Amino acid sequence: MRIDFGTWMLRLFTYVAMAFLFFPIAITLLVSINPNEFILPPTGVTMEWFRAAWTSSKFVDAMVVSLVLGIVATLSANALALLAVLALVRYNFPGKAFVNLLIMSPILIPATIFSLALYVFLARIGLGGSITSLVIGHTIHVLPFAVRILAASLQNFDTSLEEAARNVGASGTRTLFSITLPVIKTGLISSLTLCFVLSWNDFPISVFLAPPGWTPLPVELYSYIKYQYDAVGAALASSLIILSAIAIIILDRATGIRRAIRGEAPGVKS
Amino acid sequence: MRAGVVAFLAPSLVLLTIFVLIPLGWVIRISFNENVGGAYMRSAWVLDNYIQFLGSTWYLVNTLWYTVYIAFFATVLSALLAYPVALYIARSTGFQKSILMTLVLSPLLIGLVTLVYGWIVIFRGGGILNSLLIGLGVYDEPAQYMWNIKGVVILLVYIGMPYMTMSLLDSIERINPFLAEAARNVGANRWTTFWKITFPLTMPGLYAGLVIVFTLNFAAFAVPLMVGPDETRMIGLLIYKEALINNNLPFASSISVIMIAASSVTIIGLGYLFNKMILNKLEAKK
Repeated sequence: MRIDFGTWMLRLFTYVAMAFLFFPIAITLLVSINPNEFILPPTGVTMEWFRAAWTSSKFVDAMVVSLVLGIVATLSANALALLAVLALVRYNFPGKAFVNLLIMSPILIPATIFSLALYVFLARIGLGGSITSLVIGHTIHVLPFAVRILAASLQNFDTSLEEAARNVGASGTRTLFSITLPVIKTGLISSLTLCFVLSWNDFPISVFLAPPGWTPLPVELYSYIKYQYDAVGAALASSLIILSAIAIIILDRATGIRRAIRGEAPGVKS
Repeated sequence: MRAGVVAFLAPSLVLLTIFVLIPLGWVIRISFNENVGGAYMRSAWVLDNYIQFLGSTWYLVNTLWYTVYIAFFATVLSALLAYPVALYIARSTGFQKSILMTLVLSPLLIGLVTLVYGWIVIFRGGGILNSLLIGLGVYDEPAQYMWNIKGVVILLVYIGMPYMTMSLLDSIERINPFLAEAARNVGANRWTTFWKITFPLTMPGLYAGLVIVFTLNFAAFAVPLMVGPDETRMIGLLIYKEALINNNLPFASSISVIMIAASSVTIIGLGYLFNKMILNKLEAKK
Protein backbone atom coordinates (compact mmCIF):
# COMPACT_ATOMS: atom_id res chain seq x y z
CA MET A 1 0.00 0.00 0.00
CA ARG A 2 1.20 3.46 -0.89
CA ILE A 3 1.77 5.40 2.31
CA ASP A 4 0.60 8.95 1.76
CA PHE A 5 0.18 11.98 3.96
CA GLY A 6 -3.42 11.16 4.93
CA THR A 7 -2.51 7.66 6.09
CA TRP A 8 0.37 9.06 8.12
CA MET A 9 -1.92 11.52 9.87
CA LEU A 10 -4.40 8.74 10.57
CA ARG A 11 -1.65 6.55 11.97
CA LEU A 12 -0.31 9.34 14.16
CA PHE A 13 -3.79 10.11 15.47
CA THR A 14 -4.44 6.45 16.23
CA TYR A 15 -1.17 6.09 18.14
CA VAL A 16 -1.93 9.21 20.19
CA ALA A 17 -5.40 7.84 20.95
CA MET A 18 -3.87 4.50 21.98
CA ALA A 19 -1.47 6.34 24.26
CA PHE A 20 -4.50 8.09 25.80
CA LEU A 21 -6.16 4.70 26.37
CA PHE A 22 -3.05 3.08 27.78
CA PHE A 23 -1.77 6.04 29.80
CA PRO A 24 -3.68 5.49 33.08
CA ILE A 25 -2.96 1.75 33.01
CA ALA A 26 0.76 2.28 32.48
CA ILE A 27 0.92 4.96 35.18
CA THR A 28 -0.79 2.67 37.71
CA LEU A 29 1.59 -0.19 36.97
CA LEU A 30 4.58 2.15 37.18
CA VAL A 31 3.57 3.70 40.51
CA SER A 32 2.95 0.27 42.06
CA ILE A 33 6.62 -0.73 41.68
CA ASN A 34 8.14 2.71 42.22
CA PRO A 35 9.98 3.19 45.55
CA ASN A 36 9.20 6.93 45.44
CA GLU A 37 5.46 6.34 44.96
CA PHE A 38 4.21 9.17 42.76
CA ILE A 39 7.51 10.78 41.87
CA LEU A 40 8.36 9.70 38.36
CA PRO A 41 10.41 8.47 36.61
CA PRO A 42 11.04 5.50 38.95
CA THR A 43 14.49 5.18 40.45
CA GLY A 44 14.21 1.47 41.14
CA VAL A 45 11.84 -1.42 41.58
CA THR A 46 10.16 -2.35 44.83
CA MET A 47 7.63 -4.99 45.82
CA GLU A 48 6.89 -3.17 49.08
CA TRP A 49 3.47 -1.82 47.97
CA PHE A 50 2.37 -5.19 46.65
CA ARG A 51 3.45 -6.83 49.90
CA ALA A 52 1.49 -4.24 51.89
CA ALA A 53 -1.60 -4.75 49.72
CA TRP A 54 -1.45 -8.53 49.77
CA THR A 55 -0.89 -8.86 53.51
CA SER A 56 -3.67 -6.50 54.56
CA SER A 57 -6.46 -8.73 55.84
CA LYS A 58 -9.06 -6.24 54.58
CA PHE A 59 -7.85 -6.61 51.01
CA VAL A 60 -7.29 -10.36 51.18
CA ASP A 61 -10.87 -10.77 52.46
CA ALA A 62 -12.17 -8.59 49.63
CA MET A 63 -10.16 -10.62 47.13
CA VAL A 64 -11.67 -13.84 48.44
CA VAL A 65 -15.17 -12.33 48.21
CA SER A 66 -14.54 -11.24 44.60
CA LEU A 67 -13.08 -14.60 43.68
CA VAL A 68 -15.92 -16.65 45.17
CA LEU A 69 -18.53 -14.28 43.78
CA GLY A 70 -16.93 -14.34 40.33
CA ILE A 71 -16.74 -18.14 40.21
CA VAL A 72 -20.27 -18.74 41.49
CA ALA A 73 -21.81 -16.09 39.22
CA THR A 74 -19.83 -17.31 36.19
CA LEU A 75 -20.77 -20.95 36.65
CA SER A 76 -24.45 -20.22 37.29
CA ALA A 77 -24.74 -17.81 34.38
CA ASN A 78 -23.04 -20.23 31.98
CA ALA A 79 -25.17 -23.17 33.05
CA LEU A 80 -28.31 -21.08 32.52
CA ALA A 81 -26.98 -19.65 29.26
CA LEU A 82 -26.04 -23.04 27.85
CA LEU A 83 -29.55 -24.39 28.39
CA ALA A 84 -31.18 -21.27 27.01
CA VAL A 85 -28.92 -21.19 23.96
CA LEU A 86 -29.63 -24.84 23.09
CA ALA A 87 -33.28 -23.85 22.78
CA LEU A 88 -32.72 -20.43 21.18
CA VAL A 89 -30.33 -21.49 18.44
CA ARG A 90 -32.06 -24.69 17.42
CA TYR A 91 -35.77 -24.03 17.61
CA ASN A 92 -38.13 -21.42 16.39
CA PHE A 93 -41.10 -20.72 18.57
CA PRO A 94 -43.63 -17.94 19.05
CA GLY A 95 -42.40 -15.12 21.28
CA LYS A 96 -38.76 -15.78 20.48
CA ALA A 97 -38.04 -12.11 19.87
CA PHE A 98 -39.41 -11.24 23.29
CA VAL A 99 -37.38 -14.01 24.95
CA ASN A 100 -34.25 -12.66 23.25
CA LEU A 101 -35.02 -9.16 24.45
CA LEU A 102 -35.61 -10.35 28.01
CA ILE A 103 -32.35 -12.29 28.06
CA MET A 104 -30.41 -9.29 26.71
CA SER A 105 -32.22 -6.84 29.01
CA PRO A 106 -29.54 -6.74 31.75
CA ILE A 107 -27.11 -5.11 29.31
CA LEU A 108 -29.72 -2.92 27.66
CA ILE A 109 -30.83 -1.35 30.94
CA PRO A 110 -28.35 1.20 32.36
CA ALA A 111 -26.43 -0.24 35.32
CA THR A 112 -27.73 2.53 37.58
CA ILE A 113 -31.38 1.54 37.02
CA PHE A 114 -30.67 -2.21 37.03
CA SER A 115 -28.81 -1.96 40.35
CA LEU A 116 -31.38 0.33 41.95
CA ALA A 117 -34.23 -1.97 40.89
CA LEU A 118 -32.50 -5.03 42.34
CA TYR A 119 -31.57 -3.11 45.47
CA VAL A 120 -35.13 -1.98 46.26
CA PHE A 121 -36.67 -5.29 45.27
CA LEU A 122 -34.26 -7.51 47.22
CA ALA A 123 -34.71 -5.29 50.27
CA ARG A 124 -38.49 -5.68 49.87
CA ILE A 125 -38.40 -9.49 49.76
CA GLY A 126 -35.90 -9.66 52.62
CA LEU A 127 -32.84 -10.71 50.65
CA GLY A 128 -31.14 -7.32 50.90
CA GLY A 129 -27.88 -7.27 52.83
CA SER A 130 -27.03 -10.90 52.14
CA ILE A 131 -24.40 -12.45 49.89
CA THR A 132 -27.28 -13.97 47.86
CA SER A 133 -28.16 -10.55 46.53
CA LEU A 134 -24.62 -10.05 45.18
CA VAL A 135 -24.64 -13.50 43.57
CA ILE A 136 -28.02 -12.86 41.92
CA GLY A 137 -26.96 -9.41 40.70
CA HIS A 138 -23.70 -10.63 39.20
CA THR A 139 -25.23 -13.76 37.64
CA ILE A 140 -27.88 -11.71 35.86
CA HIS A 141 -25.34 -9.07 34.86
CA VAL A 142 -23.07 -11.56 33.05
CA LEU A 143 -25.81 -13.83 31.66
CA PRO A 144 -26.33 -11.90 28.38
CA PHE A 145 -22.60 -12.07 27.59
CA ALA A 146 -22.57 -15.84 28.11
CA VAL A 147 -25.66 -16.25 25.95
CA ARG A 148 -24.16 -14.23 23.11
CA ILE A 149 -20.84 -16.06 23.02
CA LEU A 150 -22.36 -19.53 23.39
CA ALA A 151 -25.02 -18.75 20.78
CA ALA A 152 -22.33 -17.67 18.35
CA SER A 153 -20.34 -20.86 18.84
CA LEU A 154 -23.38 -23.14 18.70
CA GLN A 155 -24.51 -21.61 15.42
CA ASN A 156 -21.49 -23.04 13.66
CA PHE A 157 -22.15 -26.42 15.19
CA ASP A 158 -23.10 -29.31 12.91
CA THR A 159 -26.15 -30.92 14.54
CA SER A 160 -25.66 -34.14 12.59
CA LEU A 161 -22.83 -34.96 15.03
CA GLU A 162 -25.35 -35.01 17.86
CA GLU A 163 -27.80 -37.04 15.80
CA ALA A 164 -25.10 -39.59 15.10
CA ALA A 165 -24.37 -39.91 18.82
CA ARG A 166 -28.07 -40.30 19.59
CA ASN A 167 -28.42 -42.90 16.83
CA VAL A 168 -25.77 -45.11 18.38
CA GLY A 169 -27.66 -44.95 21.65
CA ALA A 170 -26.05 -42.13 23.65
CA SER A 171 -28.36 -40.40 26.13
CA GLY A 172 -29.08 -36.68 25.92
CA THR A 173 -26.73 -35.90 28.80
CA ARG A 174 -24.00 -38.13 27.40
CA THR A 175 -24.33 -36.39 24.01
CA LEU A 176 -24.05 -33.00 25.68
CA PHE A 177 -20.87 -33.86 27.56
CA SER A 178 -19.20 -36.03 24.91
CA ILE A 179 -20.14 -34.16 21.73
CA THR A 180 -21.64 -30.71 22.22
CA LEU A 181 -19.42 -29.30 24.97
CA PRO A 182 -16.10 -30.45 23.44
CA VAL A 183 -17.09 -28.93 20.10
CA ILE A 184 -17.98 -25.52 21.55
CA LYS A 185 -15.01 -25.64 23.94
CA THR A 186 -13.35 -22.44 22.76
CA GLY A 187 -16.64 -20.57 22.98
CA LEU A 188 -17.15 -21.90 26.47
CA ILE A 189 -13.65 -20.91 27.60
CA SER A 190 -14.19 -17.47 26.17
CA SER A 191 -17.56 -17.15 27.87
CA LEU A 192 -16.31 -18.34 31.27
CA THR A 193 -13.35 -15.96 31.10
CA LEU A 194 -15.38 -12.94 30.03
CA CYS A 195 -18.08 -13.54 32.64
CA PHE A 196 -15.50 -13.93 35.38
CA VAL A 197 -13.57 -10.81 34.48
CA LEU A 198 -16.76 -8.73 34.22
CA SER A 199 -17.86 -9.91 37.65
CA TRP A 200 -14.37 -9.52 39.12
CA ASN A 201 -14.17 -5.89 37.98
CA ASP A 202 -17.77 -4.84 38.49
CA PHE A 203 -18.34 -1.72 40.53
CA PRO A 204 -21.87 -0.29 39.92
CA ILE A 205 -23.81 -3.43 40.89
CA SER A 206 -21.55 -4.31 43.81
CA VAL A 207 -21.72 -0.86 45.35
CA PHE A 208 -25.53 -1.06 45.44
CA LEU A 209 -25.80 -4.67 46.57
CA ALA A 210 -22.72 -5.44 48.70
CA PRO A 211 -23.80 -6.34 52.23
CA PRO A 212 -21.66 -5.32 55.20
CA GLY A 213 -18.76 -7.72 55.64
CA TRP A 214 -18.93 -8.92 52.04
CA THR A 215 -17.17 -6.18 50.13
CA PRO A 216 -15.83 -7.15 46.70
CA LEU A 217 -12.37 -5.88 45.79
CA PRO A 218 -13.36 -2.99 43.46
CA VAL A 219 -15.63 -1.51 46.14
CA GLU A 220 -12.92 -1.96 48.77
CA LEU A 221 -10.43 -0.28 46.44
CA TYR A 222 -12.85 2.60 45.93
CA SER A 223 -13.31 3.17 49.66
CA TYR A 224 -9.54 2.98 50.10
CA ILE A 225 -8.63 5.51 47.44
CA LYS A 226 -11.37 7.85 48.62
CA TYR A 227 -9.43 8.52 51.81
CA GLN A 228 -5.90 7.31 51.16
CA TYR A 229 -3.53 8.40 48.48
CA ASP A 230 -0.54 6.09 48.43
CA ALA A 231 1.11 3.45 46.29
CA VAL A 232 -0.65 0.59 48.12
CA GLY A 233 -3.76 1.62 46.19
CA ALA A 234 -1.71 1.41 43.01
CA ALA A 235 -0.49 -2.08 43.91
CA LEU A 236 -4.06 -3.18 44.50
CA ALA A 237 -5.21 -1.63 41.22
CA SER A 238 -2.27 -3.31 39.49
CA SER A 239 -3.34 -6.67 40.89
CA LEU A 240 -6.74 -6.13 39.28
CA ILE A 241 -5.06 -5.09 36.03
CA ILE A 242 -2.82 -8.16 35.98
CA LEU A 243 -5.77 -10.51 36.43
CA SER A 244 -7.68 -8.68 33.69
CA ALA A 245 -4.64 -8.87 31.42
CA ILE A 246 -4.51 -12.65 31.87
CA ALA A 247 -8.20 -12.79 30.96
CA ILE A 248 -7.59 -10.61 27.89
CA ILE A 249 -4.87 -13.00 26.71
CA ILE A 250 -7.14 -16.04 27.21
CA LEU A 251 -9.99 -14.32 25.35
CA ASP A 252 -7.67 -13.30 22.55
CA ARG A 253 -6.44 -16.87 22.16
CA ALA A 254 -9.86 -18.48 22.41
CA THR A 255 -12.21 -16.47 20.21
CA GLY A 256 -10.68 -13.01 19.93
CA ILE A 257 -11.68 -10.18 22.23
CA ARG A 258 -13.90 -8.42 19.76
CA ARG A 259 -15.89 -11.55 19.03
CA ALA A 260 -16.16 -12.30 22.74
CA ILE A 261 -17.51 -8.88 23.65
CA ARG A 262 -19.61 -8.43 20.55
CA GLY A 263 -20.98 -11.95 20.34
CA GLU A 264 -24.03 -12.41 18.17
CA ALA A 265 -27.69 -12.20 18.96
CA PRO A 266 -28.91 -15.76 19.50
CA GLY A 267 -31.03 -17.19 16.73
CA VAL A 268 -29.71 -14.79 14.11
CA LYS A 269 -28.08 -16.77 11.34
CA SER A 270 -25.09 -15.02 9.93
CA MET B 1 -39.54 -30.75 21.20
CA ARG B 2 -41.84 -27.98 22.45
CA ALA B 3 -41.54 -29.33 26.00
CA GLY B 4 -37.74 -29.36 25.61
CA VAL B 5 -37.68 -25.71 24.59
CA VAL B 6 -39.72 -24.73 27.62
CA ALA B 7 -37.57 -26.77 29.99
CA PHE B 8 -34.35 -25.31 28.58
CA LEU B 9 -35.53 -21.72 28.70
CA ALA B 10 -37.48 -21.86 31.93
CA PRO B 11 -34.58 -21.38 34.41
CA SER B 12 -33.28 -18.23 32.69
CA LEU B 13 -36.71 -16.79 32.06
CA VAL B 14 -37.90 -17.37 35.61
CA LEU B 15 -34.74 -15.78 37.01
CA LEU B 16 -34.97 -12.78 34.70
CA THR B 17 -38.66 -12.31 35.37
CA ILE B 18 -38.20 -12.38 39.14
CA PHE B 19 -35.01 -10.34 39.29
CA VAL B 20 -35.31 -7.97 36.33
CA LEU B 21 -38.91 -7.49 35.20
CA ILE B 22 -40.57 -7.50 38.61
CA PRO B 23 -37.92 -5.23 40.18
CA LEU B 24 -38.34 -2.75 37.31
CA GLY B 25 -42.09 -2.83 37.83
CA TRP B 26 -41.48 -2.37 41.54
CA VAL B 27 -39.37 0.73 40.87
CA ILE B 28 -42.23 2.25 38.88
CA ARG B 29 -44.69 1.32 41.63
CA ILE B 30 -42.76 2.81 44.53
CA SER B 31 -42.07 5.98 42.57
CA PHE B 32 -45.68 6.84 43.51
CA ASN B 33 -45.19 6.07 47.21
CA GLU B 34 -44.94 8.68 49.90
CA ASN B 35 -41.63 9.15 51.62
CA VAL B 36 -42.17 9.55 55.35
CA GLY B 37 -38.61 10.27 56.38
CA GLY B 38 -35.76 8.03 57.42
CA ALA B 39 -35.75 4.81 55.47
CA TYR B 40 -39.52 4.55 55.54
CA MET B 41 -42.15 5.01 52.89
CA ARG B 42 -45.89 4.76 52.87
CA SER B 43 -47.72 2.85 50.19
CA ALA B 44 -49.70 5.37 48.17
CA TRP B 45 -50.50 6.62 44.69
CA VAL B 46 -49.24 10.18 44.78
CA LEU B 47 -47.24 12.27 42.31
CA ASP B 48 -45.22 14.05 45.02
CA ASN B 49 -41.90 12.58 43.93
CA TYR B 50 -42.41 13.55 40.32
CA ILE B 51 -43.55 17.04 41.31
CA GLN B 52 -40.52 17.40 43.56
CA PHE B 53 -38.28 16.84 40.55
CA LEU B 54 -40.25 18.27 37.62
CA GLY B 55 -41.56 21.24 39.58
CA SER B 56 -38.10 22.42 40.53
CA THR B 57 -36.01 24.57 38.22
CA TRP B 58 -32.95 23.43 40.12
CA TYR B 59 -33.52 19.79 39.24
CA LEU B 60 -34.75 20.44 35.71
CA VAL B 61 -32.07 22.88 34.60
CA ASN B 62 -29.13 22.20 36.86
CA THR B 63 -29.47 18.42 36.97
CA LEU B 64 -31.48 17.04 34.05
CA TRP B 65 -30.44 19.53 31.37
CA TYR B 66 -26.91 19.69 32.71
CA THR B 67 -26.64 15.87 32.48
CA VAL B 68 -27.93 15.89 28.89
CA TYR B 69 -25.34 18.55 28.09
CA ILE B 70 -22.37 16.79 29.72
CA ALA B 71 -23.36 13.35 28.40
CA PHE B 72 -23.83 14.67 24.88
CA PHE B 73 -20.61 16.65 24.92
CA ALA B 74 -18.63 13.60 26.09
CA THR B 75 -20.38 11.41 23.50
CA VAL B 76 -19.48 13.74 20.62
CA LEU B 77 -15.88 13.95 21.84
CA SER B 78 -15.56 10.18 21.94
CA ALA B 79 -17.00 9.94 18.43
CA LEU B 80 -14.44 12.48 17.16
CA LEU B 81 -11.69 10.50 18.81
CA ALA B 82 -12.96 7.06 17.79
CA TYR B 83 -13.71 7.77 14.12
CA PRO B 84 -10.12 8.12 12.84
CA VAL B 85 -9.06 5.23 15.08
CA ALA B 86 -11.77 2.99 13.64
CA LEU B 87 -10.77 4.01 10.09
CA TYR B 88 -7.16 3.15 10.79
CA ILE B 89 -7.97 -0.18 12.46
CA ALA B 90 -10.24 -1.14 9.56
CA ARG B 91 -7.34 -0.56 7.15
CA SER B 92 -4.73 -2.39 9.19
CA THR B 93 -4.26 -6.14 9.05
CA GLY B 94 -2.82 -9.09 10.93
CA PHE B 95 -0.87 -8.60 14.12
CA GLN B 96 -1.13 -4.81 14.10
CA LYS B 97 -4.91 -5.01 13.85
CA SER B 98 -5.21 -7.49 16.70
CA ILE B 99 -2.95 -5.39 18.95
CA LEU B 100 -4.92 -2.23 18.20
CA MET B 101 -8.23 -4.03 18.79
CA THR B 102 -6.97 -5.36 22.12
CA LEU B 103 -5.82 -1.91 23.24
CA VAL B 104 -9.08 -0.26 22.23
CA LEU B 105 -11.24 -2.85 23.95
CA SER B 106 -9.16 -3.36 27.07
CA PRO B 107 -10.83 -0.54 29.08
CA LEU B 108 -14.01 -2.64 28.89
CA LEU B 109 -12.28 -5.54 30.59
CA ILE B 110 -10.25 -3.58 33.11
CA GLY B 111 -12.43 -2.41 35.93
CA LEU B 112 -13.75 1.11 36.24
CA VAL B 113 -12.22 1.70 39.66
CA THR B 114 -8.82 0.60 38.40
CA LEU B 115 -8.97 2.96 35.44
CA VAL B 116 -10.21 5.77 37.66
CA TYR B 117 -7.27 5.18 39.98
CA GLY B 118 -4.86 5.68 37.07
CA TRP B 119 -6.59 8.91 36.13
CA ILE B 120 -6.52 10.13 39.73
CA VAL B 121 -2.75 9.76 39.73
CA ILE B 122 -2.63 11.75 36.50
CA PHE B 123 -5.20 14.39 37.41
CA ARG B 124 -4.33 15.35 40.95
CA GLY B 125 -3.18 18.87 41.75
CA GLY B 126 0.46 17.85 41.95
CA GLY B 127 -0.19 14.98 39.57
CA ILE B 128 1.56 13.85 36.47
CA LEU B 129 -0.54 15.77 33.94
CA ASN B 130 0.09 19.06 35.68
CA SER B 131 3.81 18.47 36.03
CA LEU B 132 3.87 17.68 32.33
CA LEU B 133 1.82 20.69 31.27
CA ILE B 134 3.78 23.05 33.50
CA GLY B 135 6.98 21.52 32.17
CA LEU B 136 5.80 22.17 28.62
CA GLY B 137 4.88 25.72 29.57
CA VAL B 138 1.15 25.28 28.96
CA TYR B 139 0.28 26.48 32.45
CA ASP B 140 2.15 28.43 35.09
CA GLU B 141 0.42 26.84 38.02
CA PRO B 142 -1.45 23.54 38.51
CA ALA B 143 -4.88 23.42 36.88
CA GLN B 144 -7.62 21.56 38.70
CA TYR B 145 -8.87 18.44 36.89
CA MET B 146 -9.56 16.12 39.74
CA TRP B 147 -12.90 16.51 41.51
CA ASN B 148 -13.89 18.71 38.67
CA ILE B 149 -16.35 18.29 35.80
CA LYS B 150 -13.44 18.26 33.30
CA GLY B 151 -12.22 15.05 34.90
CA VAL B 152 -15.71 13.56 34.59
CA VAL B 153 -15.84 14.41 30.87
CA ILE B 154 -12.36 12.99 30.20
CA LEU B 155 -13.31 9.73 31.91
CA LEU B 156 -16.65 9.46 30.14
CA VAL B 157 -14.85 9.95 26.81
CA TYR B 158 -12.32 7.33 27.84
CA ILE B 159 -14.96 4.77 28.77
CA GLY B 160 -17.07 5.57 25.69
CA MET B 161 -14.15 5.03 23.29
CA PRO B 162 -14.30 1.20 23.09
CA TYR B 163 -18.06 1.12 22.42
CA MET B 164 -17.83 3.88 19.84
CA THR B 165 -14.86 2.35 18.04
CA MET B 166 -16.47 -1.10 17.93
CA SER B 167 -19.69 0.29 16.54
CA LEU B 168 -17.94 2.38 13.86
CA LEU B 169 -15.62 -0.46 12.93
CA ASP B 170 -18.60 -2.73 12.31
CA SER B 171 -20.02 -0.34 9.75
CA ILE B 172 -16.69 0.55 8.12
CA GLU B 173 -15.83 -3.10 7.58
CA ARG B 174 -19.20 -3.71 5.99
CA ILE B 175 -18.48 -1.21 3.21
CA ASN B 176 -17.76 -2.84 -0.11
CA PRO B 177 -14.12 -1.93 -0.92
CA PHE B 178 -14.95 -1.81 -4.63
CA LEU B 179 -17.05 1.30 -4.05
CA ALA B 180 -14.04 3.36 -3.02
CA GLU B 181 -12.01 1.88 -5.84
CA ALA B 182 -14.73 2.70 -8.34
CA ALA B 183 -14.83 6.28 -7.09
CA ARG B 184 -11.09 6.59 -7.48
CA ASN B 185 -11.24 5.09 -10.95
CA VAL B 186 -13.56 7.84 -12.09
CA GLY B 187 -11.07 10.39 -10.80
CA ALA B 188 -12.21 11.18 -7.24
CA ASN B 189 -9.35 11.89 -4.84
CA ARG B 190 -9.08 10.24 -1.41
CA TRP B 191 -10.76 13.16 0.35
CA THR B 192 -13.77 13.20 -1.99
CA THR B 193 -14.01 9.42 -1.85
CA PHE B 194 -14.11 9.60 1.94
CA TRP B 195 -16.83 12.27 2.11
CA LYS B 196 -18.97 10.89 -0.71
CA ILE B 197 -18.62 7.16 -0.13
CA THR B 198 -17.17 6.11 3.21
CA PHE B 199 -18.63 8.75 5.51
CA PRO B 200 -22.28 8.39 4.42
CA LEU B 201 -22.04 4.61 4.66
CA THR B 202 -20.77 4.77 8.25
CA MET B 203 -23.78 6.80 9.39
CA PRO B 204 -25.62 3.75 10.83
CA GLY B 205 -22.54 2.78 12.85
CA LEU B 206 -22.04 6.34 14.04
CA TYR B 207 -25.66 6.57 15.05
CA ALA B 208 -25.54 3.25 16.92
CA GLY B 209 -22.34 4.34 18.68
CA LEU B 210 -23.82 7.70 19.68
CA VAL B 211 -26.92 6.02 21.10
CA ILE B 212 -24.96 3.43 23.11
CA VAL B 213 -22.44 5.90 24.49
CA PHE B 214 -25.00 8.60 25.21
CA THR B 215 -27.18 6.15 27.14
CA LEU B 216 -24.18 5.03 29.20
CA ASN B 217 -22.99 8.59 29.84
CA PHE B 218 -26.44 9.86 30.68
CA ALA B 219 -26.99 7.23 33.36
CA ALA B 220 -23.40 7.21 34.67
CA PHE B 221 -23.04 7.40 38.42
CA ALA B 222 -19.74 5.69 39.18
CA VAL B 223 -17.59 8.17 37.23
CA PRO B 224 -19.07 11.36 38.74
CA LEU B 225 -19.03 9.64 42.14
CA MET B 226 -15.34 8.87 41.91
CA VAL B 227 -13.88 11.85 40.03
CA GLY B 228 -16.57 14.53 40.18
CA PRO B 229 -16.82 17.28 42.79
CA ASP B 230 -19.06 16.52 45.79
CA GLU B 231 -21.90 18.56 44.40
CA THR B 232 -21.77 17.04 40.86
CA ARG B 233 -25.26 17.47 39.51
CA MET B 234 -25.51 14.42 37.28
CA ILE B 235 -28.76 12.51 37.34
CA GLY B 236 -27.29 9.02 37.79
CA LEU B 237 -25.33 10.22 40.81
CA LEU B 238 -28.47 11.86 42.19
CA ILE B 239 -30.26 8.49 42.02
CA TYR B 240 -27.37 6.82 43.82
CA LYS B 241 -27.30 9.45 46.56
CA GLU B 242 -31.07 9.50 47.08
CA ALA B 243 -31.18 5.69 47.27
CA LEU B 244 -28.07 4.82 49.27
CA ILE B 245 -27.28 7.97 51.25
CA ASN B 246 -30.66 9.67 51.86
CA ASN B 247 -32.60 6.38 51.80
CA ASN B 248 -35.36 8.10 49.86
CA LEU B 249 -36.35 5.17 47.65
CA PRO B 250 -39.57 6.69 46.25
CA PHE B 251 -37.68 9.78 45.07
CA ALA B 252 -34.79 7.72 43.66
CA SER B 253 -37.32 5.57 41.79
CA SER B 254 -39.18 8.50 40.30
CA ILE B 255 -35.89 10.04 39.13
CA SER B 256 -35.07 6.70 37.46
CA VAL B 257 -38.37 6.76 35.58
CA ILE B 258 -37.71 10.37 34.53
CA MET B 259 -34.19 9.44 33.50
CA ILE B 260 -35.35 6.60 31.24
CA ALA B 261 -37.97 8.90 29.70
CA ALA B 262 -35.47 11.71 29.11
CA SER B 263 -32.91 9.34 27.69
CA SER B 264 -35.47 7.84 25.28
CA VAL B 265 -36.62 11.29 24.16
CA THR B 266 -33.05 12.37 23.47
CA ILE B 267 -32.34 9.21 21.49
CA ILE B 268 -35.53 9.58 19.45
CA GLY B 269 -34.60 13.22 18.84
CA LEU B 270 -31.14 12.16 17.74
CA GLY B 271 -32.63 9.61 15.34
CA TYR B 272 -34.89 12.31 13.89
CA LEU B 273 -31.94 14.65 13.50
CA PHE B 274 -29.94 11.98 11.72
CA ASN B 275 -32.79 11.15 9.37
CA LYS B 276 -33.83 14.69 8.52
CA MET B 277 -30.60 16.58 8.44
CA ILE B 278 -27.87 14.20 7.49
CA LEU B 279 -29.42 11.43 5.46
CA ASN B 280 -31.70 13.81 3.53
CA LYS B 281 -28.81 16.10 2.78
CA LEU B 282 -26.80 13.20 1.44
CA GLU B 283 -29.81 12.17 -0.58
CA ALA B 284 -30.12 15.67 -2.03
CA LYS B 285 -26.44 15.82 -2.95
CA LYS B 286 -26.72 12.73 -5.09
